[in-house]
Amino acid sequence: MLRLIKIESAKLFYKLKSWLGPMLIMILVLTAFPLSIDISKFDLEKFYFSIIVVSLLMTSFLATEGMFEEDFEDGSLEQEFLVEQDFYKLVLSKIFVYVCFIGIPIAFIGAIFSFANGVEIKNFAKVFFLLSLSNLLLFNLFAFGNALSINKGAMLGVLTTLPLALPVIILLGTAIRSIQYGDGFLQIMFLMIGSGFLISAIMPIIISAALKTHID
Amino acid sequence: MISAFIHKFSSPKSFVQITKTLFPFFIFAGLFLLIIGWIWGLLYAPPDAVQGNSYRIIFLHVPAVIFAELIYFFMAICALMHIVWRVKLAAYLIKSAAPIGAMITFIGLFSGSVWGIPTWGTWWQWDARITSTLILFIMYLGILTLHGSFSNLEKSDRLMSILVVIGVVNIPIIKKSVDWWSTLHQPASISVSGGSAIDPSMMYPLLISVIGLGFTLISLGILTSRSYILTREKNKKWVSEYV
Repeated sequence: MLRLIKIESAKLFYKLKSWLGPMLIMILVLTAFPLSIDISKFDLEKFYFSIIVVSLLMTSFLATEGMFEEDFEDGSLEQEFLVEQDFYKLVLSKIFVYVCFIGIPIAFIGAIFSFANGVEIKNFAKVFFLLSLSNLLLFNLFAFGNALSINKGAMLGVLTTLPLALPVIILLGTAIRSIQYGDGFLQIMFLMIGSGFLISAIMPIIISAALKTHID
Repeated sequence: MISAFIHKFSSPKSFVQITKTLFPFFIFAGLFLLIIGWIWGLLYAPPDAVQGNSYRIIFLHVPAVIFAELIYFFMAICALMHIVWRVKLAAYLIKSAAPIGAMITFIGLFSGSVWGIPTWGTWWQWDARITSTLILFIMYLGILTLHGSFSNLEKSDRLMSILVVIGVVNIPIIKKSVDWWSTLHQPASISVSGGSAIDPSMMYPLLISVIGLGFTLISLGILTSRSYILTREKNKKWVSEYV
């Protein structure tokens, strides 16, 4: 497992576009939004979170594009299958590396921007934790989308699974409201942590099954 | 034992033969009940105290959205059968049911929009129930697109089944959306445990419409699946003998 994490980290590190691109787009969207419309500070504070949520969805979508495509094209997937007879560990380590390299920095950027747009500093940790968890869930879902349509440009599968991101967005929206109104945050957070653990455990099995179908 | 039962009754050949005899019953019963339900609902049921005659669209809208969800649920069961027991017929049924599901979801959304104009004053609202139903419609289209993207049909069947199983998470969300969020869409008027909020003079034609549409959709499903099976199995000996 550690071997796979090391390999995947090295691979992602050298693919500058894959990890730097989503972060830059996140910054760009969050900076451009308040500039692009004439809006009062009060209104901006009220719905800036929504922009963060949409940016998060978009950047997770971009970050996971082609997650398995290169491995499929160069035969690494086949080789891994011959060694391990399963993709569970590979998928798990890939998602872990993507979340660490891209998901957490994106969450950090989102939290900084929310802080700069009227969120109290005491809530910074809450927002950061919340966005990181959402990224974990979204990366799992979009990785599934990529695995479905691996050699069809990956976009098809991602678009197909986009509707599945709805529950994550709903949970995130509810959690954000709970931060804004200071009520029921812990319950939502525990629900998200539970979903995060469950999805992170189950999704690699499903993704592995989809990848096996392509190798067969 | 379950596996033996499934394999015995799930060969495409026996499905085509059995459904040939069942088709006339479903189509006639379906159309008969649908016409009775709609004539009763549209012409003889009393107008609603608040909404007047505009409520009559429920005789199309409610059955359509019920079956939009039920068809997906049916597809999810078939998908599980395909993944676990590798039943070919299950994949054929998913592929045949998906366009019907997409069509009926569209009818549900469209009729809801038409009903929304006189009652809510708007044809569309980003409401939890309406949005989640729209997502169901997109899921149906996504499933069809995914299946159509691969030249290897066995691979398509398997990937489609995996997606259908995962997508079933949206069904309870649609069902409970009116309870979990404060929505513009009204909560359920009929419940299995808590009785009905609809007057019997409106409920009976509604129930007949639901059963009628159900039978009609089954007959439509039989038609599309038979044609799909015959196309997919065209190189098999039994098809040349059957045709």
